[in-house]
Amino acid sequence: MARLLEVNNLRTQFFTQDGVVNAVNGISYTLDEGETLGIVGESGCGKSVGVMSLIKLIPTPPGKIVEGSVIFNGENLIDMSDGEIRSVRGNKIGMIFQDPMTSLNPVLTIGRQIQEALELHMGMDKAQSKARAIELLELVGIPSAADRINDYPHQFSGGMRQRVMIAIGLSCNPQLLIADEPTTALDVTIQAQIVDLVKKLRDDLGMAIIWITHDLGVVAGLADRMLVMYAGMIVEEAPVKELYANPSHPYTVGLLGSLPRLDQVSGEKLDSIEGLPPDLIDLPKGCPFHARCKYRIEKCFTENPPLKTIGVGHKAACWIDVTKDPITTERPYQEV
Amino acid sequence: MLSYIVRRLLWLPFLLAIMIFITFWLGFYGPGSPEVVLLGQRYDPETAAVIKEQWGLNEPFALQYVKYVRNYVTLNFGESLTKYQGQPVARLLARRLPVTMELNAAAIALGVPLGIILGAIAATYHGRWQDRSIIFFTVLFRAVPSLVAGPVLLFVFAKQLKILPVGGWDGLFSASAILPVSILASGVVAGFARQTRANMLDVLSADYVRTARSKGLSEQMVMSRHVLQNALIPLVTILGLVLGSIVEGTLITETIFGIPGMGQLAFEAIGARDYPIIIAVTVLAAFIFALANLWADLFYGIIDPRIRQS
Ligand SMILES: Nc1ncnc2c1ncn2[C@@H]1O[C@H](COP(=O)(O)OP(=O)(O)OP(=O)(O)O)[C@@H](O)[C@H]1O
Ligand code: SF4
Ligand SMILES: [Mg+2]
Repeated sequence: MARLLEVNNLRTQFFTQDGVVNAVNGISYTLDEGETLGIVGESGCGKSVGVMSLIKLIPTPPGKIVEGSVIFNGENLIDMSDGEIRSVRGNKIGMIFQDPMTSLNPVLTIGRQIQEALELHMGMDKAQSKARAIELLELVGIPSAADRINDYPHQFSGGMRQRVMIAIGLSCNPQLLIADEPTTALDVTIQAQIVDLVKKLRDDLGMAIIWITHDLGVVAGLADRMLVMYAGMIVEEAPVKELYANPSHPYTVGLLGSLPRLDQVSGEKLDSIEGLPPDLIDLPKGCPFHARCKYRIEKCFTENPPLKTIGVGHKAACWIDVTKDPITTERPYQEV
Repeated sequence: MLSYIVRRLLWLPFLLAIMIFITFWLGFYGPGSPEVVLLGQRYDPETAAVIKEQWGLNEPFALQYVKYVRNYVTLNFGESLTKYQGQPVARLLARRLPVTMELNAAAIALGVPLGIILGAIAATYHGRWQDRSIIFFTVLFRAVPSLVAGPVLLFVFAKQLKILPVGGWDGLFSASAILPVSILASGVVAGFARQTRANMLDVLSADYVRTARSKGLSEQMVMSRHVLQNALIPLVTILGLVLGSIVEGTLITETIFGIPGMGQLAFEAIGARDYPIIIAVTVLAAFIFALANLWADLFYGIIDPRIRQS
């Protein structure tokens, strides 16, 4: 498959009153056409900022992409002018967001919100864009689409609104769909429906997907490959089966350990990772995970491990080997 | 929505009856009385008693109140007792109301769009010098009462520079309208600029604005299609508040500039304890106020589909 996206050393910071927030700290990865990449990590680890930086959707100020390149179809998106990047957004790269209840404009009809992008990028007139919007709503499984096109967002349920968001994201036949936690705000049965819908659409339309989640369970059946992020860095990358079978970074091991299991009393989390992620304004020296790591050694306090290849398509950023090296501590480390 | 409007309209008569009650109660138990004002130097207790008897002022409070309400129901607003003795209140109002309406309409017609534009500029340049200067002026406009601004402006433009008349009223499109309209409008500008700025900043951080940007819309399209309408919705409610402050502003401004409107009439009537006029002006103000708020609610329905369909 041809290379669609190549992210090199991308670094995004927010210049706030409290200091510089190091939200994304030099991440690199690639994506092929039609491939689905999952990104997981705890809240605040830079998943959203990381993908929004791809299409320069960072609020500036306070945010700024300070370093790196994003090569999409051979062109560097970071170097593009405002006008150029706008012709990519919503066109070649579509996006859907976490909260369908607030991501649609309450005072515009569903139809208008879908048609807007069609008229802008595809040069359609009102009649053409309306016909296409109805087609899109049918595609994402909204019954009696021709009538519902004149409805307002408040007349749709959460799951239906997320289907509308997907229709917007896919409206201009993008090569890449970025989905930022599209199921987090929905209840479990609806979550499964949305995942199934996206899977089906991907198989029909063939676009590549970046799917963000903080729940490893959701992406298992969807993604080809996974990135694990921590404190604005990629700490592990692997094909999805490999990641579940052989997690190689202590943080990934912790994440997998905190997955709810069938034999588990509901609500109870086994083995969740103790402690909190580091302050992104004042990143600690050494490995960003050392304060919470059970495997840490001396070196972890002083040197940040590089992301290095440890298997086929499998990379991890850790000084030790979790399959061989012993657990050295059970307690989170407190800086004094 | 429709039943809501009907309910509001049905409430209106009760609201007005309550307004009459309060005004009447204040006059009845407050200091001073019309016969004293009328007789002035010629006051003697016997004549006063005759006049009071004639006007029905000796009757108990409840009876007088009921009479008032009954007269209002038949659209009989009575006659002036002292200031414009014998003239029907309805005719006085009919002569004065258009002047006040013109004055306020001009202040709102200028103030609302200007306020919205300034607020939108301030929000667009959030934190920069444009924003700061607009904030400075809106705070200034609100902080200086018209009681102070009026005489100061008159002194500068009429007395010193002699480029504007000292007062009076030659119609809306005359030099005499410039200062009073500006003073009334400045309050409206300040209120709307502040609120528009706050609303736009609020809306700019909304998720749906991010969605709009992710579609590739230009900043201008994002502002005009997605931000503005949502930012204007809450403004409808403050229109009611602004009207409240403008009623009060009219009273002061008309008196300072010698404009023969409702405000001046009310001021004169209060001084002369001319109850029929005071009550009529109060009721009329309350009526206009209630209608304006009702209109605001209707307008809400027009720009917000969530309300229209509920
Ligand atoms: N506008 C902003 N100003 C300052 N800091 C910001 C801003 N937006 C994001 N950040 C910071 O950047 C960091 C990364 O945020 P991001 O939204 O990417 O996290 P996330 O991994 O998507 O988390 P979640 O799972 O909660 O969505 C956070 O620490 C956040 O506080
Ligand atoms: S480098 Fe050290 S601290 Fe970091 S994850 Fe590996 S063992 Fe833990
Ligand atoms: Mg996020």
